[in-house]
Amino acid sequence: MNKKLLHSLWRILLLPMAVLLLVTGCAEKEKLADGTELIEKDKFIFTASGEFRPFSYLNDDLTMSGFDIEVGNAIAKELGLEPIPKRMKFLGLVQGVKTGRADAAVASHTINELRKKEVFFSTPYYYSGPQIFTRPDSDIKTTDDLAGKEVAVAKGSTYMDIAKRYTNNVNTYDSDITALQALSDGRHDAVITDFVTGKSAIKEGFKVKEQQLIERSEQAVVVPMDNPILLKRINEALEHMRQDGTLKRISIEYFDEDITVKPK
Amino acid sequence: MNEIAHFFEAFGSSSNLLVKAMLLTLELTVVSILIGIVIGLFFALLKLSRFRVLTLIADVYIYLIRGTPLIVQIFILYFGLSGLFLIPDFWAASLALAFHNGAYIAETFRGSIQSIDKGQMEGARSLGMKPSLAMRRIILPQALRRALPPLGNQFIIGLKDSSLAAFISMNELFNVATTLGSNNFDEMTYLLIAALYYLILVGILTLLIRMFERRMAVSER
Repeated sequence: MNKKLLHSLWRILLLPMAVLLLVTGCAEKEKLADGTELIEKDKFIFTASGEFRPFSYLNDDLTMSGFDIEVGNAIAKELGLEPIPKRMKFLGLVQGVKTGRADAAVASHTINELRKKEVFFSTPYYYSGPQIFTRPDSDIKTTDDLAGKEVAVAKGSTYMDIAKRYTNNVNTYDSDITALQALSDGRHDAVITDFVTGKSAIKEGFKVKEQQLIERSEQAVVVPMDNPILLKRINEALEHMRQDGTLKRISIEYFDEDITVKPK
Repeated sequence: MNEIAHFFEAFGSSSNLLVKAMLLTLELTVVSILIGIVIGLFFALLKLSRFRVLTLIADVYIYLIRGTPLIVQIFILYFGLSGLFLIPDFWAASLALAFHNGAYIAETFRGSIQSIDKGQMEGARSLGMKPSLAMRRIILPQALRRALPPLGNQFIIGLKDSSLAAFISMNELFNVATTLGSNNFDEMTYLLIAALYYLILVGILTLLIRMFERRMAVSER
């Protein structure tokens, strides 16, 4: 190869490298004295979608409110850190935690065995369950009636696996609310989603009706697997919040009932 | 009638948030198009180079970008590379959009450079200019003017493509509108509002592009 060619090759390689160097920070996390790793010192960055009312929703200044956000804030307070809620689409939430875009996700993630291979779950901070929703005139009542019917669910949610158990005709949407909206508008035969979400949709005037509650589920904070000490500290914080009634208070504020204790 | 009133009420009450979101959309678009133009010109010149290696590099880049969906490129830059280095959110979105736009702009530039009559280069060479000088002084000024209409087109496509940055935590127009839709249990209204904002933006952009093209055409009158 001649010299001129090598020279131009160098320039080609240098340009993208220079661009990357200019805009990149370091991926290394801050390490505290006890081994807890944080993305930013003194800050607890947790994600939620902001599209799961009343668990997380958007305020007028682009910040978030909701049950999940208050729990996240309370955990940060217990840890002695500043809470930084970060909004990400549900689809990217877990990936965001795994790749160091956030310290944890406080976003109503349901604990299941498959997910446990990829991330750590804290102890459950509330209990819920997937429920069947239909239009009021539907004759679907239980899971047995779902065979061959068209069921809509949110993308990336555990409800998709549940739906697939009963029918092979599953449609996915970006959020639970979109799925319920489509059902209310006359599309699909049923939606499987969280009973709290369905209940608030009915309160908002969606033309849907509650049917069978399929099973109980446990919702927990998601922590990346390279950060076991943070998991331990979050579990301690949650336990303390159960003892002193903080979790119960937040639950009553949003749902008029305590969904943070295990149902009998 | 009732629905129209409802639409405008929602439009008014969300304007505070959506104007902020619109500014971020504009910022993403302008930054990514400007970087995209630099990338595009760079790869167009590579593609026209006499050296096979350089042509090949440009071909591979254009093939990779044109051959994969933009949303995949955005996710790879945002999540995939974060083990090596963490690109800040805004720059991950801007760079993904810039590299994407760059591939299309490269082809635009290549086409417009090749469309300049061979006699132009020959004339410049016969006056004693080196090929690189002839390219800079004679070919590129004419070629860039010819590239303006497709560039304006790419600008508008880039504006709408920026909506995919919604999936990596950018609070831009599409993201905020769909979130408001799901928060208010009223998705259709807010999607229509988002469409209206995009129409207004594209309308203004179209006018600006037309004015700019007219100014650049002065020398051809």
